[in-house]
Amino acid sequence: MFGGGGEDVVVPRAFKLLKELEKGEKGGAGLPPYLSYGLADADDDDDLTHWTGTILGPAGTTLDMRVLELSIECGERYPERPPEMRFRTRVNLPFVRNDGRIDLAALGVAQAWRRNNSIEDALNAVYHAIARPEVRRLAQPPEGARFD
Amino acid sequence: MADPAALPRRILKEAQRLRLEPIPGIAVEVSETNLRHFLCVVDGPEGTAYEGGKFKLELFLPAEYPMAPPEVFFRTKIYHPNTDKLGRICLDVLKDKWSPALQIRTILLSVQALMSAPNPDDPLRENVAEHWKTDERGALAVAREWTQKYAM
Repeated sequence: MFGGGGEDVVVPRAFKLLKELEKGEKGGAGLPPYLSYGLADADDDDDLTHWTGTILGPAGTTLDMRVLELSIECGERYPERPPEMRFRTRVNLPFVRNDGRIDLAALGVAQAWRRNNSIEDALNAVYHAIARPEVRRLAQPPEGARFD
Repeated sequence: MADPAALPRRILKEAQRLRLEPIPGIAVEVSETNLRHFLCVVDGPEGTAYEGGKFKLELFLPAEYPMAPPEVFFRTKIYHPNTDKLGRICLDVLKDKWSPALQIRTILLSVQALMSAPNPDDPLRENVAEHWKTDERGALAVAREWTQKYAM
């Protein structure tokens, strides 16, 4: 950058989340067609903490074409730390615990996380993990089953 | 972490001037950890529904600044047709009317002016704008109520 002297511009949490929200709001323009996300309750979330997301099960997997709902929590330490995510739709996946929580360390997301990563990146990682060869054929609960 | 030497000179100069010549009715504080991040408090303009309130705003200068405008939003809840429930602000100088000749100072003054002159014809919150257009007295009463509840 000109005259920037190698400045590392850090986007504060709220501004980063507002940008992410904007991207999610534009009817998903710029997002992969198989995922979406937004604030869970814009009326009652001053801190932009609670989000919801959906992933469309990848083709060629036992979750093909299923709409999978997730809740996403961007805590105070986001984006230094990745969001906490859990499936609401019941799924049988090795990186998902009994209560729907996603083990981001098992996905490698926790280790590779950088502060310029986003909710979109986290959802994308989950999507691609579903399509892994050792995961794609796992038997799944009936459609409509939920964790909550 | 926050090394002033790494900042573009323009930003340093603006911050310095804000410190030496404060804007009446607007307090501006630079974040200790991020010199592009400003925490502002705008006094509700006199004679408006926001009078007596202290409205917190956050302002951030993106990497592209000053070619791109500052980003600003209200931290304090405000009942105003040109803001949304997250505090985002619809203001031309923050969008297509931005020019690098403008500054943090001019932006904050524009926000203050917007508080004095709500524009329900260019709304960000349809229902609030509708309230303004059909029952301005009622809308102003709610705005005053919110000022007391959230900004005092």
